[in-house]
Amino acid sequence: MKGQIRSTSDHRSPLRRIGMGILYFILVIVALVQLYPLVWLFQLSLKTNQEVFGMSPFALPKSPRWENYINAWFDGGINHYFFNSVWYTVVAVLLTLILASFVTFALTRMEWKLKGIVLALFMVAYMIPVHSTLIPLFNIYNKINLINNPISIILSYTTFNLPITIMILLGFYQSLPREIEEAAIMDGCSIHRIFFQITLPMTAPVLSTTAIINMIYNWNEFVFVNTFISSEKWKTITVGVNNFIGQYLTDWGAIGATLVISVLPILIVYLFLSDRIIEGLVAGSVKG
Amino acid sequence: MKKKALSYLVLLTLVIGLALSGCSSSDKSASEGKSGDGKIHLKFMHDWPKGSSTAYYSLVDEIIKDYEAKNPNVVIDVEVLNPDQYRDKLKVLAASNELPDVGLTWSNGFAEPYATGGQFAPLDDIIEKEFKDQFVPGTVESYSFNGKSYALPMEMNITYIFYNKEIFKKYNLEVPKTFEDLKKIGKTLIKNGVIPATVGSKDGWPASMWFMYLADRIGGPTILTDVIKGKVKMSDPAIVKAAKEIQNLVDMGFFVKGNTAFSNDDAKGYFLNEKAAMFLTATWELPNFTTSPDVPQEFKEKVGYFKFPIYEGGKGTDINSYVGGPGLGAFVAENSKHKEQAKDFAAYLVKEWGKRSVEEAGILPATKVNTEGLNVPKMYLDVLNDINNATNITTWFDTQASPNVSELHHDLITALFGKQITPEEFAKQHDEALAEEAKKNKQP
Amino acid sequence: MKNVMSNKIVIALYVLPALFLVLFLIYIPIVLTGYYGLMDWDGVGQMKFIGLENYKKLIHDKLFWKSTWHSVLLALFSVLSLVGYLIVSLVLASKIKGANIFRKIYIIPMLMSSVAIAQLWVKIFDPMNGLINSVLTMLGMKNTPLWLADPNMALYAIFVPIVWQYAGFYIIIIYAALINVPQELIEAARIDGANAFQIAYKIKVPLISGVLKVLIILAVVGSLKYFDLIYVMTGGGPGDATEVIASYMYKEAFGKFNFGYGSAIGFGLLIISMGTTWIIQKLLNTNK
Repeated sequence: MKGQIRSTSDHRSPLRRIGMGILYFILVIVALVQLYPLVWLFQLSLKTNQEVFGMSPFALPKSPRWENYINAWFDGGINHYFFNSVWYTVVAVLLTLILASFVTFALTRMEWKLKGIVLALFMVAYMIPVHSTLIPLFNIYNKINLINNPISIILSYTTFNLPITIMILLGFYQSLPREIEEAAIMDGCSIHRIFFQITLPMTAPVLSTTAIINMIYNWNEFVFVNTFISSEKWKTITVGVNNFIGQYLTDWGAIGATLVISVLPILIVYLFLSDRIIEGLVAGSVKG
Repeated sequence: MKKKALSYLVLLTLVIGLALSGCSSSDKSASEGKSGDGKIHLKFMHDWPKGSSTAYYSLVDEIIKDYEAKNPNVVIDVEVLNPDQYRDKLKVLAASNELPDVGLTWSNGFAEPYATGGQFAPLDDIIEKEFKDQFVPGTVESYSFNGKSYALPMEMNITYIFYNKEIFKKYNLEVPKTFEDLKKIGKTLIKNGVIPATVGSKDGWPASMWFMYLADRIGGPTILTDVIKGKVKMSDPAIVKAAKEIQNLVDMGFFVKGNTAFSNDDAKGYFLNEKAAMFLTATWELPNFTTSPDVPQEFKEKVGYFKFPIYEGGKGTDINSYVGGPGLGAFVAENSKHKEQAKDFAAYLVKEWGKRSVEEAGILPATKVNTEGLNVPKMYLDVLNDINNATNITTWFDTQASPNVSELHHDLITALFGKQITPEEFAKQHDEALAEEAKKNKQP
Repeated sequence: MKNVMSNKIVIALYVLPALFLVLFLIYIPIVLTGYYGLMDWDGVGQMKFIGLENYKKLIHDKLFWKSTWHSVLLALFSVLSLVGYLIVSLVLASKIKGANIFRKIYIIPMLMSSVAIAQLWVKIFDPMNGLINSVLTMLGMKNTPLWLADPNMALYAIFVPIVWQYAGFYIIIIYAALINVPQELIEAARIDGANAFQIAYKIKVPLISGVLKVLIILAVVGSLKYFDLIYVMTGGGPGDATEVIASYMYKEAFGKFNFGYGSAIGFGLLIISMGTTWIIQKLLNTNK
């Protein structure tokens, strides 16, 4: 609130006003550019293949094909995969966040010798390209009987997102003031209490940011699912998209519809997450 | 705030706990259930997803149901992936010796490592017993290595130049007899602002069909097969000439602009939207030009096809020599636990497929089709006739080649169409790769 | 106080779960990748030990170095674009009106799967009907560029969607870091008469430098192993004009059945990433 009162008083100078005008103009242009794909996707979802190819891709469909959505829902099997996508994503995101927070806390707040090596191990783990892990990973899961088992997917999502999550958290933990934690130690708080009741809430903004990033990655992932899962029962929504890609024909309208259906939940969750969690928890931790 | 954090944590542990316990119990039904019901479970993988290959998917689905009805002790567990993912997964599975009991494989170069690496079971016994003289000649050979056959062919396609009859009529054009005619047609169309031909050279293989036909017409029908066999070099003047002719066509603007960034689908759009007059493609597109409900009837009536014209002075003087080949065939895994049952299913699948595919799905099978009394559009009967009268069907060069050479070929074709390399360089790089391949094959 | 923060049991409890997952599911594959690199193996049949042959071949492989160069260029582009993201985030975090909405909109491209993004950009770049060339033709340009079909242009053209897609990723992280900057410091500077630029440059940026460093490393490593859009949009072509290390590796291992050589490329990528990260860390630390 304070900031807003200040900035309205700043607006009085005409030069500033022009400056702000230009600034907003740029911000709006960028927003339109970033928003356009969604509009385009929606258009695509209502087109026939003939309209998708050869015609201007930015033209509106002549007669919207709502059937594409029916196709997507039933032929693409989204109805079936949707729930899997949701719970794999939720469980993997929670696991990643809590494990990564543990590690980052230990790396930045605690005193021990092997820190450097452990950090390096996590960083190097981020560097390996997914495709060179597929065959070894399949072998590992096969040996421990986790092929065609959702655990393999959740473990893969969690593990492969751990390095990037830890690295992002690390930057934050380093810039976070330590005074509160130090005071808590003086007061004789246990480490677990400091971690759960002070540090975790303080990092809420970045946690929700990494949650979103993790969520997007997991939600759109398909290489692991396709490789480790064979029964329809355990596949995810991205498989629905790939159902419309064929050797001689790809049904782009249906892909569009599938993508619209699959982007909606994540969009809603994103709006919800950033509003409720960031603001709520930031306020909470600042007051705390 | 403390309460909030605590409840957050409790919720978290609850969810994780529930999820982990939940899936570990449900998992058993998935992996161990296989023998639990006392039935034989056969794993079958194919790459015709319901969404994009509806006709294929439904036909396979039907055949599987019939088979299960006839064999109540057998359950077929089907896994469907799109072609790209199918290819990748097959590789991962093979590396872990976990191929499905029955699956589909492309012919020649793709199948060879699996066959010679001991992953596919030889199927000569059932071919002899159940399919005597039933396959189109040459198809089984495409899956044969070291004298054994490793798959039951399911598809047979040949390539034509499909064209828009209305555009041709508008500019008084006739079906070309010679390559010169074709070029003239191109010039007329360009003058009138129509794209003569569309081609998706980003993918390599669609564009390669132009190259393969020109090589066939200039150098004779066996020349590319001879290259694979090491009898002829890619730098043979006839082949270099074929590559040169490609670039001549590119120079005159014969192909759609920017085709090196187009996939086959992108390119096809220009034909379907009547912006391009010709499209060299294979008979798997027939449903799009005849029966597909997704393509407007007016357009389907405009589509005709002609055989790739003769090149004056070339060695390939027979217009009934085609470029084409078998697509997918059914394999049985060598280390399948139920090999005999798997063979039985594969045989049933391919047999029924041959009986039903043309009428029910518009797909040309690799088994011989009796055209009498067949209720299909005329274009199908014409094509089936052509196949019966074909003097030669050269299997696609990229299919015949090893995966190594095939990938390189695709890249080089794109580069040839994009004029990034000269015809000589195009030939030379092929020869180098082929030579290296030959050296590798001699070693073991 | 030190005693509490160096409790070995707690450290083990916090670090081991994540470390175990990473060692088991990422390091075993890494080691195996290096090992397969010593083999002549098509991924299907028998393996044959050939020592360092694959690695020797790699060093003399022009295409490998060309792809590496392309990947390095992409990394440079990504790092440069970070400056832009930083500016946008600074603006958004300076409590201007509507910042929240802008921030939300900016991340939308990231929510969409690469399948959709690729299809959209292929249409934007389409030489005949594409968005860019339609506009250029309207403006009277005759020989419109071929974009992705032009080997000299394709690489730079394809950077645009990649950098664009990740804009949201960096912006939300930088934004989260900026709102974590203690308000008191900013207020104090303002009272001292610092203007918005000085506050941004002298206070905010240094305070989030930890996060920025991490982002630079993420951008570089992420670019070096980048695969998705390039594979879908150009497949590394035309010719080898857009081949990057990961797409080259994938082609060798999965396209050409040279699993041994593909693994060597994957291992090479890992070493290049490690080297680059090490250099970056040295540079960043001396700057300090």
